[in-house]
Amino acid sequence: MAARLRRARWLVYIYFRCLGQQMKAILAYEADFVILMISAALVQITGFLFIWTIFQRIPDINGWTFWQVVMMYSLVFITEGVGSLFFEGTWRVSRLIYNGNFDQYLLRPVSPIVQVLAGAVGFNGLGNIITGGMLMAISLGNVQVQWTPGRLLMLVILIVSAATIRVAINLGTAASAFWIKTPWSLVPFFVHQLGEFAKYPITIYSLAVQAMVVVAIPFAFVSFFPTAYLFNMEAWSAIGLLTPLVAVYCLFMAVTIFRIGLRRYESTGH
Amino acid sequence: MRGFNKYFAMAKASLEVIFVYRAGFTVNLIGSVFYVVAMFYLWQTIFLGKPGALGVFTWPEMKAYLIVAFILNSTMTWFDEWQMGADIREGRVATDLARPIDFQLKRFAEASGPIPFELASALAIGAVVAFVFGGIALPADPAHLALFIVSAALATLLKFSIIYCVSMTAFWTTGMEGVSNARMAVQNIFSGALIPLVFFPDWLRGLASVLPFQGMISTPALTYLGAMDGPTTAFMIGTQAVWALGLFLFGRLLWRSAVKAVTINGG
Amino acid sequence: MSSMPLIEARGLTKKFRQAVKEPGLVGSLKHFFTRQYRDKMAVDHIDLSVEAGESVAYLGPNGAGKSTTIKMLTGILVPTEGSLIVDGLVPYEKRQQNARNIGVVFGQRTTLWWDIPVIESFNLARDMYEIPVKRYKQNLAEFTELLGLAEFMNVPAGKVSLGQRMRADLCMALLHDPKMLYLDEPTIGLDIAVKDSIRKFIRRLVDERGTTVMLTTHDLGDIEDICNRIVIIDSGRIIHDGDLGALKDNYARDRVIHFQLARPPESMAAICAGLPACETTSDDGLRLSVRFDRFQYAAGEIAAAVMPHVEVIDFHIDEPEVEDLIRKVYLGQLSLTAPESTAEATESAVATGA
Ligand SMILES: Nc1ncnc2c1ncn2[C@@H]1O[C@H](COP(=O)(O)OP(=O)(O)O)[C@@H](O)[C@H]1O
Ligand SMILES: [Mg+2]
Repeated sequence: MAARLRRARWLVYIYFRCLGQQMKAILAYEADFVILMISAALVQITGFLFIWTIFQRIPDINGWTFWQVVMMYSLVFITEGVGSLFFEGTWRVSRLIYNGNFDQYLLRPVSPIVQVLAGAVGFNGLGNIITGGMLMAISLGNVQVQWTPGRLLMLVILIVSAATIRVAINLGTAASAFWIKTPWSLVPFFVHQLGEFAKYPITIYSLAVQAMVVVAIPFAFVSFFPTAYLFNMEAWSAIGLLTPLVAVYCLFMAVTIFRIGLRRYESTGH
Repeated sequence: MRGFNKYFAMAKASLEVIFVYRAGFTVNLIGSVFYVVAMFYLWQTIFLGKPGALGVFTWPEMKAYLIVAFILNSTMTWFDEWQMGADIREGRVATDLARPIDFQLKRFAEASGPIPFELASALAIGAVVAFVFGGIALPADPAHLALFIVSAALATLLKFSIIYCVSMTAFWTTGMEGVSNARMAVQNIFSGALIPLVFFPDWLRGLASVLPFQGMISTPALTYLGAMDGPTTAFMIGTQAVWALGLFLFGRLLWRSAVKAVTINGG
Repeated sequence: MSSMPLIEARGLTKKFRQAVKEPGLVGSLKHFFTRQYRDKMAVDHIDLSVEAGESVAYLGPNGAGKSTTIKMLTGILVPTEGSLIVDGLVPYEKRQQNARNIGVVFGQRTTLWWDIPVIESFNLARDMYEIPVKRYKQNLAEFTELLGLAEFMNVPAGKVSLGQRMRADLCMALLHDPKMLYLDEPTIGLDIAVKDSIRKFIRRLVDERGTTVMLTTHDLGDIEDICNRIVIIDSGRIIHDGDLGALKDNYARDRVIHFQLARPPESMAAICAGLPACETTSDDGLRLSVRFDRFQYAAGEIAAAVMPHVEVIDFHIDEPEVEDLIRKVYLGQLSLTAPESTAEATESAVATGA
């Protein structure tokens, strides 16, 4: 047990070592990194303007008020930002497998999954995290919630779980590259786009769409259920408590799919 | 007219490229459908929950607006700042400069080539979505449809011109991903792609009306719906044309001065 | 433990499923609906044992299955059939543990991180392989010196020349003191000087550190300088496995040097007289070829003997090709101990190696 723990800590260290190197390489292009951050912030500001405009006309969407929807939005963007800033490597897997450069991950005495996760840095993520964080803070300030230490702790757990779910979805779908060989992240992108449904309360969707984002690809646990829990939205609030479990489940599934794919890895013929 | 044959050939070649990369193209397209579907559900809830609260549009009109916006957004998807930026940075433009070809027209040909395919796919998908959500409003008057087609063509030219101008930043920065995303964000809000401009509060609508972006979605969509009276329609399409051509020419100017600056400074 | 060979492969097989696709749009469409595949036996039931300390040249024409074999040995690929043990481990099951025992260099790829300075890649390797700091410093200093890495240590791997990258890759593969070194076409595309320094370096590794080496190449020079055993594979099967002595004696002695002349030579006889034991030919008057035994003459001596008689514009030396060698093995022109079956060949090789 102690040995496993030590090993896990060591892996985290290696992960940050690799990531740190990638960051250094990117920071060499200073202007790029500033533009990326600003553009990410702009995307969010326009998204915010969109909901704000809608709520100028109507008081609520199926009982969800403006600031509650903003909370969902901020969770979508923060988790997206965490995915880009810390785990952008999942988006490189398709190309690595396609051209056989994945070989090198298998020649090092470190879990290939850790190497994949640390494989790249997307600085637009920082812009997303900062603006998303600001939106979340404003939202929390505008909704009446009884803040207890327990609820505060739960907020942190929910954010971490939501980010885990998103990253796990990225990783699990990235593993599709072991079966479908294209240089583009086709399946990951496709599934990522499903995340659009996470921006609004899922009660507005038909049953089929709800089933998809709750059960099949649980994007609803990235934004909807955590928000429902935090703001005590009756029927849904309790399900929000399941978010950490869903995160563990997603991570387990992603790693399993990745491992199965790994055994199929064929490299390339030259 | 014969000089245009080569541009036509370029357009055709770039259409064929789409066929080669059709898997990527299809996934791109279907990915954008999720966005449209989410929007449909959102607006459906808003319209059906508060009938009349949104004044200007009926629900079938709103659906038509969303579909038109989706179709207009589906063209020229393979022309963006990344591609232009990469061409400029990696010096591929140098070979173009050496040939008796107009650089801007060549880009335009390449950007337009895939349009037939993009339009066909978007129309098919749009039709399915419209059907699933119970149909959309059709133009009340054939004249609206005719004017819409003119306006949509101008919108496409406008889109090209804007991207072309923005691409020129590649002469000063390598961060084209950020530049492209920023342009897209601004365009999404001010073109009316996210939400019809009439829903904006006055200050935001005022801002949108002095920017070129409204010509990309809002003007053609409102023309389709016949939501503007005759003179207003004429004025809006005129504005669209002025922006489209003006930015097209401005892009030529930018390109010329950028090339000059680079050849003088960088050799 | 020590009685077991370092590498022990029995019936090792890798079958790839290759898509059969007709060309054109119609072909792609058809393929989309009715997928057709053909099995490709890249490696076909090979037996191979390598003892610690051996240096094996693994040869074969393009597409013979060399890289596929190495990818199985390193744990990148999971074999379709057969058993494989490298230093007591099944590579694809204990991939990470196996990675600590081996160093790998693929001529076509790099294991360095593309956009970070070479030295940072080395430092990352130090952390990943958990190399003791002292050992790391010793190795780094030694390899930097021997491979001449100092001049580009702070340049990102993506920006160094091929020869530099190759040397850095070698260093990267060896920092953690692997017992076993796999080299897949390590000298491909390099100029003579770099090739030479790499060969010397590897030979030294074998002699001084006792590192076991397995090498694929198209360059006979690599083999002569580094290896003491050759294994030839063709269409996924091992067709020869034996030591290098016979090869050296029978085949690799001869070199041909070609001169391009400004004018036809005045007297062929005079040139021939200066080069006893060489075969001198001049086909169209402006070209002159001298075949010589490289253990008897150095190329420079030949040139020195020819120069006084003619005006030389240009000259080059034919390096014998591995393909040539393999053809000769097939034709029976080369009297290497022709194996009855691959299994027997392996056993005899083990016997000589032990
Ligand atoms: N990943 C792969 N997928 C399909 N076929 C492959 C793959 N890798 C190798 N092959 C095929 O297996 C055969 C052996 O390849 P390889 O081991 O690379 O040959 P060598 O290294 O001897 O040139 C070739 O016919 C090659 O096309
Ligand atoms: Mg090979």
